[in-house]
Amino acid sequence: MTAKAAPAPRKAPIPKQALAAKVFHWVNIISLFAMMGSGLQIYNANPVFGGRAGTHFPAPMMIGGWLAGGRHWHFFFMWFFALNLLWYGIYIFATKRWQNRYVAKNDLEAIQKGKNPKRRNYAIHRLIYTSFIPILLLALLTGLGMWKTVQFGWIVDLFGGWQNLRTVHFLTIPAVLLMMIAHSLLALNVGQWKLVRSIFA
Amino acid sequence: MDPFLRIGRRKLISLGGMSLLLTACGTGEFQGTAQQKLYEWSDPLNRSFEQLLFSSQRLAREFRREEIDEAGLLINTAEDTTPEIDAANYQLKVGGLVEKPMTFSLAEMRKLPYRSEVIRHTCVEGWSAIVQWGGLPLVEVLKLVKPKPEARYVFFRSAEGFQPEGGQPYGFYETWDLASCVHPQTLLAYEKNYKPLPQENGAPIRLASPIKLGYKQIKWVTEIMLLAALPEQIGYWIDLGYEWYGGL
Repeated sequence: MTAKAAPAPRKAPIPKQALAAKVFHWVNIISLFAMMGSGLQIYNANPVFGGRAGTHFPAPMMIGGWLAGGRHWHFFFMWFFALNLLWYGIYIFATKRWQNRYVAKNDLEAIQKGKNPKRRNYAIHRLIYTSFIPILLLALLTGLGMWKTVQFGWIVDLFGGWQNLRTVHFLTIPAVLLMMIAHSLLALNVGQWKLVRSIFA
Repeated sequence: MDPFLRIGRRKLISLGGMSLLLTACGTGEFQGTAQQKLYEWSDPLNRSFEQLLFSSQRLAREFRREEIDEAGLLINTAEDTTPEIDAANYQLKVGGLVEKPMTFSLAEMRKLPYRSEVIRHTCVEGWSAIVQWGGLPLVEVLKLVKPKPEARYVFFRSAEGFQPEGGQPYGFYETWDLASCVHPQTLLAYEKNYKPLPQENGAPIRLASPIKLGYKQIKWVTEIMLLAALPEQIGYWIDLGYEWYGGL
């Protein structure tokens, strides 16, 4: 953002987003915050780190009021969270968006050796929002392994035991929060507020 | 007993079930109402989904003896005093919608088929522990008493209970779906980690199974009744607000 004074500035077009992308973003962000708040409520019943003697999260961060309440929110919003991912997955495949919307080899090259800072930023942003997909799927997989552990015992084994499974499930919270922040900041950097707004309004 | 739960329970006793659910929410009536509504929507759906995945034939994973986590199994009780039951005079009553109501002494139960399982015991709080349970599969008892065709649910009564100051005595109870009761890993356990079941774990008889959350596994069982429909009160923790199915 160095070249400010220039010949007659062109009016930047207002970015347009597909309705499907807007719906996905709305449902995703609402269900994610509901899942995180209620998840911390459940966490507090027996902290993943340290058990009952472990550090508890403060009440304002939580949804549900007590363990059973937290579970009610968690097991309600999980359907919105999971089904939203499912239809969006089908949508990006059906519309062939997966071919050019997500991080690819040329982006990784641009990150490593790129000389053009704009291209580099763009590549980093593509990497960040693409990595939402495995993290969100990981949250879903680890959650399913705990909720239906008899039917999906292989998920517990895959992570090498119950405590690991709980830990990974919990760690998806800071991972998602960090990526949300990075995703928003990079979008602000590229397209200012109007780009961020365009995905929701 | 965990102080986090104990505070909730004490409050609950003084205020009564539903009012606790709302007051404990702290953040106000709106959240309480929204919570109740979304629970009413999603719980039947979740229950159907869980029952769809459930099979009375599919066994939960079992573990090796060396994997037992002795210290991992925490004790949660509704009451601070542990019921003392005289094992010699103990009788388990089994009745309700059955062809042949029966009572069993501990000695009689020990003569019936025995099953030992090293399984993961999972608590609603999030922790789990590998534990061995030994005892009589509940299905064997059901075979003896012969449930009537209309029986669909099973009610369990515990010796545990409490009497709030100036209030009515409040017994501990639980209900299960019949399909979960005939699951081969659902036991009337009298053995924990290859030793006689300790008093604080529900001696002489407790329900033990890897297919339900810990709060469904009622301790100090004294009576079993088969029912056609769920009664108004369906379980101590469930009536406080936890989900009824509690399947794993």
